[in-house]
Amino acid sequence: MDLSPASREPMRPPAPARLVIFSLVVALVLNLLPWHGWALQIKPDFLLIVLLYWSTHESRNVGQGWGFTLGLVMDVADSVLLGQHALGYVAAIFLVQLLRLRLLQLSILEQAMHVGAIIFVSQLVNLLLNFLLGQDYPGLAIVVPPLLGALLWPVLNFIVMLPRFRQRDPVTFMG
Amino acid sequence: MSAYQENFFTRGPSPLARLTFFSLFAIAVMVADHRFQALGWVRMGVSAVLSPIEFALHWPGTAARKLSAYLDDQQRLVAENRELKEKLLQLSSASSQAMLLRTEQAQVEALKGTAQRFAGKGQIAEIIRDARNPYARKIIIDKGTRDGVEAGRAVIDGNGVVGQVTAVGLLSAEVTLTTEKNQSVPVMVLRNGLRAVAVGAGREGTIDVPFIPVGADIQTGDQLVTSGIDGTYPAGLSVATISLVDKNTSLSFAHIVALPMASAGSHRLVKVLTQEELASYPKPDTQADDKKSPPAPGGRQARRVPAEKR
Repeated sequence: MDLSPASREPMRPPAPARLVIFSLVVALVLNLLPWHGWALQIKPDFLLIVLLYWSTHESRNVGQGWGFTLGLVMDVADSVLLGQHALGYVAAIFLVQLLRLRLLQLSILEQAMHVGAIIFVSQLVNLLLNFLLGQDYPGLAIVVPPLLGALLWPVLNFIVMLPRFRQRDPVTFMG
Repeated sequence: MSAYQENFFTRGPSPLARLTFFSLFAIAVMVADHRFQALGWVRMGVSAVLSPIEFALHWPGTAARKLSAYLDDQQRLVAENRELKEKLLQLSSASSQAMLLRTEQAQVEALKGTAQRFAGKGQIAEIIRDARNPYARKIIIDKGTRDGVEAGRAVIDGNGVVGQVTAVGLLSAEVTLTTEKNQSVPVMVLRNGLRAVAVGAGREGTIDVPFIPVGADIQTGDQLVTSGIDGTYPAGLSVATISLVDKNTSLSFAHIVALPMASAGSHRLVKVLTQEELASYPKPDTQADDKKSPPAPGGRQARRVPAEKR
């Protein structure tokens, strides 16, 4: 009798709160680096990708509230209209919550394609708001950050799984 | 029984309900920020936390730059020193002339009973970085409310107007450059006093000068200086040089493009003008005007200028 898990996703203990918070802080710091020129145009939003990861894998604890709060932080950091990133993040996390069960059935590469599309939607939200504020169309460079974000998805999966495999002791969790 | 009322799976509101709630909240925040500029304190609070992190992240770059400056070619430094001395000589003669003119102007204005308009005080600040938004022309400087910087202050460098402080944190402030889209500066042509508005084009290093009739006396190479009629920028600061005048008679206005004098890309130091020297101007709030905007969005004030001219 085959007793292997039905889904490709093996049973996992919940991630430790420390790991969630640490990864979000690292992503925020990556976003805060002094990006400049063309690198700024194609830079993927590290914070959004990590948020999407945790809303997929820790959906009970990380959700739209985190997206909203960290979005406001990014708005201040990037000195744009307050609420702009927040709306984009919330929309993206909503899509992940809708597609979560489906995503978890897919292979990492298929997940990455979905995530790229979701990041693009979040970027469209920002683009639309910029249009409303009277800014110009930034050009085709806008398709690059979602693509890079999709490429980062397997990398992020790999990195986040590393310390967790070693962590055997029971997990403490946030409320 | 009541103990069993709880759901076995506590899930809270559905994702759609959350989306609706947070989206409405985000839109409310945007309206409050954009329309009423009511959320300065949120920005202040968050940036007070973020600034130290950003300073730390910028430290390696700053240190590397200082090191390379330290190890810089002696010859280049000597040349630069000579250049600066020559400039100083030129400026000192110009400055003594300016002082004479200012004295005369003060006497004339005292006779006329109008207020003194221009003084040269300000605060030196260092540019930390560009704003991390590829579609905005903004820079971040290292002086904030702690040093007395306020939103609405004019920012200049050695060559002319850089822009205007549009948001302040405790330790840093955000300066919107004159090249930012729709950022306007009321100017006049130095040669003949023709008044105009310099409006940022939203592209690097370009300023548009709209609403100039085809027949107006304006030509390539003309210097644009601030006219001082908005109360934000003191009169007489260099803003831009006209680089293109296209007088197509089939249109009612000439197509005029100017190059900004100040270049925030190549300078490290700027000067934030203090408010005392502008104290003689009427405060925007006290003007008979329905707009409650603070002086920060220079665009909105300056855009009224053509109407006043009419």
